[in-house]
Amino acid sequence: MNTNLKKINIYAIYLGAFILILPLIAFFINAFSFRWFYPQLVPKELSLQAWVRLKLIPKIDNRSFDNFLELWLSNPTIIKALLNSLTIGLIVTIASIIIALPAARVLGLLNFRFKKIIIFIMISPTILPPIAFVLGLNINFISLGLSGSFFGVCLVHLVPIMPYVVLTMTGIFANYNPDFEHQARTLGANKFKTFYLITLPAIAPGMVVAALFAFLVSWSQYLLTFLIGAGKIMTLPLLVFSTASSGNPALTAALSIVFIFPTILILFFASKFVTGDSSAKYGLGKL
Amino acid sequence: MSDLKISHLYKNFSGMDRPVVNNVNLNIKAGELVALLGPSGCGKTTILKMITGLFQPDSGDIILDNTSLLPIVTEKRDVVMVFQNYLLFPYMNVNENVGFALKMKGINKDKIDEKVKDMLELVKLPDIGGRKPKQLSGGQQQRVALARALISKPKLLLLDEPLSNLDAHLRDEMRELIITIQQKLKVTTIFVTHDQEEAVLLADKIALIFDGKLQSYAPPKEYYECPINERAARFFGGVNFLKSTINNLNIETEIGLIIYNQKNKNDLLDNHLLAIRPENIKISKDNIFQKNCFSGIITSIIFSGTNTRYKIKIKDTILECSVQSLGIKGISENDKVFIYLPEDKLWGMNE
Amino acid sequence: MSGDRLKIILSLTSPLLIIITLFFGGIFYGLLQSLGYQPAIQKYDINFDAYYNVMFSERYAKLFWTGLGLNLWVSFVSTFLAAAFALFGALAIRKTFFAKTFCNFIYSLNLPMPHLVVAIGMIFVFSQSGLLARMSSQVGLIGSPSDFPILVKDKYGLGIILTYVWKESAFFFIILMSVLQSLGENFEELAQSLGANKWQRFRYVILPLIMPSLFSASIIVFAFSFGAYEVPALLGISYPQMLPVMAFEFFLNPDLNARSEGMALSIIIAMIVMILVIIYFWLIQSKIRKN
Repeated sequence: MNTNLKKINIYAIYLGAFILILPLIAFFINAFSFRWFYPQLVPKELSLQAWVRLKLIPKIDNRSFDNFLELWLSNPTIIKALLNSLTIGLIVTIASIIIALPAARVLGLLNFRFKKIIIFIMISPTILPPIAFVLGLNINFISLGLSGSFFGVCLVHLVPIMPYVVLTMTGIFANYNPDFEHQARTLGANKFKTFYLITLPAIAPGMVVAALFAFLVSWSQYLLTFLIGAGKIMTLPLLVFSTASSGNPALTAALSIVFIFPTILILFFASKFVTGDSSAKYGLGKL
Repeated sequence: MSDLKISHLYKNFSGMDRPVVNNVNLNIKAGELVALLGPSGCGKTTILKMITGLFQPDSGDIILDNTSLLPIVTEKRDVVMVFQNYLLFPYMNVNENVGFALKMKGINKDKIDEKVKDMLELVKLPDIGGRKPKQLSGGQQQRVALARALISKPKLLLLDEPLSNLDAHLRDEMRELIITIQQKLKVTTIFVTHDQEEAVLLADKIALIFDGKLQSYAPPKEYYECPINERAARFFGGVNFLKSTINNLNIETEIGLIIYNQKNKNDLLDNHLLAIRPENIKISKDNIFQKNCFSGIITSIIFSGTNTRYKIKIKDTILECSVQSLGIKGISENDKVFIYLPEDKLWGMNE
Repeated sequence: MSGDRLKIILSLTSPLLIIITLFFGGIFYGLLQSLGYQPAIQKYDINFDAYYNVMFSERYAKLFWTGLGLNLWVSFVSTFLAAAFALFGALAIRKTFFAKTFCNFIYSLNLPMPHLVVAIGMIFVFSQSGLLARMSSQVGLIGSPSDFPILVKDKYGLGIILTYVWKESAFFFIILMSVLQSLGENFEELAQSLGANKWQRFRYVILPLIMPSLFSASIIVFAFSFGAYEVPALLGISYPQMLPVMAFEFFLNPDLNARSEGMALSIIIAMIVMILVIIYFWLIQSKIRKN
């Protein structure tokens, strides 16, 4: 009876894993097939056509390194979108960590009046949907000239990211003993060295989680980029969305793979950091 | 009132180099209060969990009142365990916690309320029924856990380290409560502990377990008077050991000939150990003793409040001896003294 | 003390500034516009016309109320199903060796997947010529694509629900696994020794212990699915239409007068979510007070 139950459990896991992986299989088949007609389960012909059309791979007869380079340097939309997503993600991640670090330290280590209200204000963007603020903000940004600018997009990405970064890092500082720093100072370390040698190693694992999360949120942001970017800033999610709406499955699939591949890679290597922290975990539901 | 018989119990967890419980046999009479004593990791909690049914033994049997428990699922065994950290359900108040077992049996609410009240009176906490576990002190939590365990009148009560999470002053109180309740309800009780003092103070009988093996099963007194081996003797603390050999009919030790007349005299092998507890060694400035008397030099004196400890060097052996309160007047370090090892306090062991 | 105060103020200023100006500023400006204040087209008077139009005018009322119904239906059903699947899965495998592997699998595969991509994946899998339809046809369950039920771009929001369930059940699973792991098995063992059978252990021990986390995760999922745009935009149809999509389309309308309606809708969405969260906190608070 017990072993039967165990067997059922294992089958349940396999079934769960299969259901989870099914869309991924569909992405790969769609992206690498040519004329995959119903009711074929497996395509008759494999092809890289979608990738050629995306201008990620040169045409079949001239796939040398130089041709790859030439193609990419000709700045096709996908490369532009990829670079935009990457730069915005990195800028926003670094900015959010730098801005959140002192705030998180204060919130985690000190008790003061209005602390609860301040935390409530900080986390309010996690509760209310982005559509509630971005429509109004869009009009403001137009009149300020920020609409359609790279800077404007970075700025608006900070809104959904800030709460999680602050919250995650506050959690780290809540379990952090500043006496280590005092000890280092009495042993002759200056302020910079104390931060570099004592504070940073202690908060690094949590900071990795926060940074990772910030990047992922920025990377997958559609609505905010679309509205504030005003069609001038093309990022990967925008490209994916418009391709998906236009309805070419092969192109959509190939683009989606380009879109999610880095994120899966990042989280695969960083999953051991994520497991420990609960406040970051609650944020993961919204990616 | 139930008899418990554990026979040839054996349990091996995969990945361990030796069995956690290795061929343990125990006969516990109805109404007895028995301690499973041993260092942590010796397998005592595993035995408890096998009695409850949370673990299945690899072989052996557990028999309660002439029926084997093994085919019965945990919840039907009438064997209740109180966990070390009490584990009061945090989302239930005290009344709900205590009444849990009866609720599981589907007994109606009025009856449960009535019983809960009785149980809380029994553990001397009549007025806290509405509180949540968080609002209770450690001692109160322990009592509630005890009441919760006893409400369904189990045939067997198992306590895992019942006093280890309590402050010293609460321990005495709790110990007395456990003894009182146990005698009143006459429920056969087994508790697990790593603290020999706790076992001695509480238990009718102690089962001493090392490395999954039962060393001995006897009333507490015997562990002091006639321990079964060196390790058991050391576990009960503060013992002097003398390596000795049998020389004709006398016993020759490191410090000289000793007259030995205990009941196991004829069982001793050629090479064995003699043990004597520090408090049983008599000490004097003058040579007033007749036999088993030796002279030595005091190497250190430590006053520890209730008694004074002397270290005495005889030949190359150092014996420790303790005297109540301030000790003997006029003795200081490097003085020569005489000691006496009373015949009836010496105990010989083969290993 | 005053040094501390200065430090606190300096440290908190920049993140607070971002949240207050961009987030609350945006909401405030949206609120103003929803009330008819639109300097861009020389409208300065404050009124509730937009709200009235959206909710009760002949033109939009039907669209709005069906949309609201769809919103509530999609959010409730996806939250409930995702939580139920996750709970079932977590309880089934938590004691197995696979549990950890499965957790890691989800961490690295499901969690970083944006909703947008999951929605596309659902089209690939569940549409009438999708992977499942092909599979059913291979085993002879269906003939032509039209035999397969319409699961994406349908009027009941099934595709949207599927997306959320796929994505959020994994999220629930992660949360539940970490709660269950931190609880350990002692409570259950104790309950078992006190005579609780398997069902009773679930009902009276596990469920109350995990309820707080399950509940707060549910709130997050519900609030998110209620206000999110991408998934219904890709998988929805034009009638009935979920509110965020409707708000967005109002907003993009070339007729600038429709902007107020779009803003009004977004404010309504925000209000509903807020009321829900307030009820949630009120419930928790009153529970704490009761204890």
